[in-house]
Amino acid sequence: MTGRPERRIWRDTKNDADDEIAFHLEMRARDFQERGLATEQAREEARRRFGNIDTITTLVRRIDDESARQKRRTGMWTDFRQDITYAIRGLRRAPGFTAIAVLTLALGIGANAAIFSLINAVLIRPLPFSDPDRIVFLWNTRGGTSTPEPIGPGRMMDFRSQATSFSAFAAISHMSFTLSGHGDPEQIPGSSVSSPFFDVLGVHPLLGDTFHDGHADPNAVVLSHRLWMRLFGGDPTVVGRSVTLNQRARTIVAVMPREFVWPSITARPSPADTGPELWIPGGLGDIPRPATDEDADVRAYRNAGYLRTVARLKPGVTVSQANAEVAAIATRLSRTYAEDDGRGATLVGIREQFAGSVRRPLLILAGAVGFVLAIACANIASLLLGRAADRRREIAVRRALGAGTGRIVRQLLTEAVVLSAAGAVAGLALAWWLSSSLITVAPADMAGMVTLLDPRVLGFTLVVACAVGLAFGAAPALEVSRGALAPVLTDGGTRTSGSRGTTRLRDVLVTIEIAVALVLLSGSALLVRSFVRLTRVDTGMATHNLLTFDVSLTGDRGAYQEKQVAFYAALLERLRAVPGVSAAGAAVTLPIGGDDFGTQYRVEGKPVPPAGRTPQAGYQIVMPGYFAAMGIPLRAGRDFRMADDRRAPPVALVNESFAHREWPGADAVGRRVRFDDSAEWMTVVGVVGDIRHLGPSVPPRAELYQSVTQRSFPFIAVVVRTQADPYAVMPSIRRAIGELDPQIPLAHAKTMDEHLAHALSRPKFLSTLVTGFGAVAVTLAVIGIYGMMAWSVAQRRKEIAVRVALGAKNREVLGLVLRKALLLTTIGVVAGLAAARAASGVLNGLLFGVEATDAIAFGVTTAIIALVALAASYWPARQALRVNPVTLLR
Amino acid sequence: MTDRTSVDLLQGTLATLILKSLSWGPLHGYGIARWIEQVTEDELLVEEGSLYPALHRLQARDLVTSQWTTSETNRRVRCYSLTEQGRQQLRAELSRWERFSVAVSRALQARKASKAV
Repeated sequence: MTGRPERRIWRDTKNDADDEIAFHLEMRARDFQERGLATEQAREEARRRFGNIDTITTLVRRIDDESARQKRRTGMWTDFRQDITYAIRGLRRAPGFTAIAVLTLALGIGANAAIFSLINAVLIRPLPFSDPDRIVFLWNTRGGTSTPEPIGPGRMMDFRSQATSFSAFAAISHMSFTLSGHGDPEQIPGSSVSSPFFDVLGVHPLLGDTFHDGHADPNAVVLSHRLWMRLFGGDPTVVGRSVTLNQRARTIVAVMPREFVWPSITARPSPADTGPELWIPGGLGDIPRPATDEDADVRAYRNAGYLRTVARLKPGVTVSQANAEVAAIATRLSRTYAEDDGRGATLVGIREQFAGSVRRPLLILAGAVGFVLAIACANIASLLLGRAADRRREIAVRRALGAGTGRIVRQLLTEAVVLSAAGAVAGLALAWWLSSSLITVAPADMAGMVTLLDPRVLGFTLVVACAVGLAFGAAPALEVSRGALAPVLTDGGTRTSGSRGTTRLRDVLVTIEIAVALVLLSGSALLVRSFVRLTRVDTGMATHNLLTFDVSLTGDRGAYQEKQVAFYAALLERLRAVPGVSAAGAAVTLPIGGDDFGTQYRVEGKPVPPAGRTPQAGYQIVMPGYFAAMGIPLRAGRDFRMADDRRAPPVALVNESFAHREWPGADAVGRRVRFDDSAEWMTVVGVVGDIRHLGPSVPPRAELYQSVTQRSFPFIAVVVRTQADPYAVMPSIRRAIGELDPQIPLAHAKTMDEHLAHALSRPKFLSTLVTGFGAVAVTLAVIGIYGMMAWSVAQRRKEIAVRVALGAKNREVLGLVLRKALLLTTIGVVAGLAAARAASGVLNGLLFGVEATDAIAFGVTTAIIALVALAASYWPARQALRVNPVTLLR
Repeated sequence: MTDRTSVDLLQGTLATLILKSLSWGPLHGYGIARWIEQVTEDELLVEEGSLYPALHRLQARDLVTSQWTTSETNRRVRCYSLTEQGRQQLRAELSRWERFSVAVSRALQARKASKAV
């Protein structure tokens, strides 16, 4: 009963009320006139009879306005419900269309939700520290390169006492603890931290109390939630109890809450190992203890770079102000201390520190899934356009029955949004499945962070679904509002050619799809090529069948270098005797995934380099036999020998890069080098082959090797070359070590192939995912092209029939149809190539051994897209030939 | 006080009268006023203006609906007609009024019957 005409009246209630009352007065006045009153008198009398005109007019208007508002509200709700019911009914009538649309959307929205859940976990979700944006890390920089490096104790103390930008400042060292008296001895990663550490982060313990600035019992230990659960099963009375770590009794003073997960802090973001599980206070001068010797007084070591520092900015101080201050302090220190020369300082925000290395890959993935979604939208917009064109009659009828343009547009948009809502639900299910498989391919440090059931992820999905619905619903709605579909009732209902506007829009959409698919596929081609190169790169050593594990010494045996060396020698001796073992060696730091030392050095007979230009090299300390075990070839001279002990003359080995840099074209053996901070010359006794110490993607650099027999630490990494599967030999190796000393834990046993795979996990993750999304994009584009061609052939049946009737040959008809596909594909490919070219910079730094403009990658991609596009249009073109002229023309 | 009661009474009655006036077919506001004037012999409608708020309230309640037409003098005229709801409402009002007036007149014409007890 709320007919349309009324609605129009409500729009100008103002004049309406006036008119109505004026009419009344006029009629009444006429009556009076007929009864003999004069005109003026009659009017006067009419007004008197009426009452207060203004009051009544206002009252009438208010009643009308209020009722209009009321009706609009209920009307909108009714219309909305009607639209939804209608949309669902319409979609159920076209199950094929609906299934394809929902599936396509599920793919697009699901992939986006999955990637967003990763981004949310890594980049957006607040870190579990109070006011995390105020937390910064302070690193050394050296030379022009801004690669951050750890800081030495003396320099750290200067920054600590001089910087005024920080309200709290703490240093961190990474250590390894042997836990004994608690079942089998085991090695636990931990940290020594200066006392304000927990206050810098603003975290509070679950149980007990942590250290605070200047207040720390030197024998205290704080446990992580995980360690507490594992060792004590979550026993709440654990505070005050004693544990033996590195053969020293320590008192548990606090247990951290579950959400306090603190990683290993590395200057060079690398595949992180598990973070510390316990924290002990620093030693003398509140300086974190060095891993080599817990009780060493390190205050005199100015630049022994083993410290990471974390600080909290004072309120009101910005990161750039603080950065300027530490840079100024660094300049001052360089002037005061000769050995600080060439060192700078820089601050890194905590978010950047934790996620800096994954940020770009994640954003690239986000871009990729965004593209997939865009193609999905284009596809559905195209399908909906076709559908709207097929429904021209229905729409025209509704229009003729009085439905306004706005109403029909709203109906079409509702249909689109209903579709995308269904797509979002299916997409979330898909994302759930996707993210569980994401975890299996994700690098270890990214897995476990992904949660779909986060309000941000759900909100994101909702917004995406709505935006997407409106985006692809807009195309057909626009067509309707332009009236393109209106004049249908007149043409008798037989479809002749499709509306020109609709056809053009669909053509544009298909072209865009081809272009976007090409961009995505070329990106994945580049990443795959780069990854294949990475896996094939020669690391300079034989990584197959190589087992590695860490050993730490404690007590007396750890305290004296002679005892350390003797133990390592005995250990290797036993390992070499194990059946199935062909070689064994040991080094303080292993290539690929291991820690890394560097050193500054001087070469005998060369002029003293200018300040800040002292040459640098990687620095490795290895046991005799290490090179043979690793498969690193000896190019000249000899390997270290057990006889090269601390009483013998100091010796060193260098790699080819080192030899080439310092003595190009000459013999390196017999030359002498020394460390920058030592007066003792070492004689180069051999040259070994280059290796990629920092991983397959980092080129070899100059390396300087020293023998463990001349400088040892209480920990070492052992490498064992086996004849077959290393893990098959594991039990015998354990037994051999147990026979030597049952108290020695064997930590981090892993094969070198596993280290290598770990180092490649991130590029693998990225290339796998981008390729997956590329494949989805191409599939969607193919569906789009097929749909467009099939529709276009259907629209042109009459025309084709005429041509066939007039004697056109099959080849001509086929050519006619395919010509369009060819044109669209060509335009799409050219546009895609241009876009890919423009976007190629995005992959810079993520590619290895492949240019971002690699001709092969682009060539292959173009070929694939062109072939697939033409194949998709061939089938509909064949359909055109089946047109029977008689049935159509009759 | 008495004023107020009579106005309330008037309003309720006025609404019923409007519905009644429309029961023979669409009318404009002035037509309704004339009808009331004639049938009540000018007793009821003291101020003609009060008719309009009542009409528009009825329209807001969907008891009447209106349409603009053109008069013979070529002027925009708003014509009101009863909706189905309005018809039902009128029927209900009539039967209520009947019962009410029967009851009241019976009461007013009663003799001192109670004495018989």
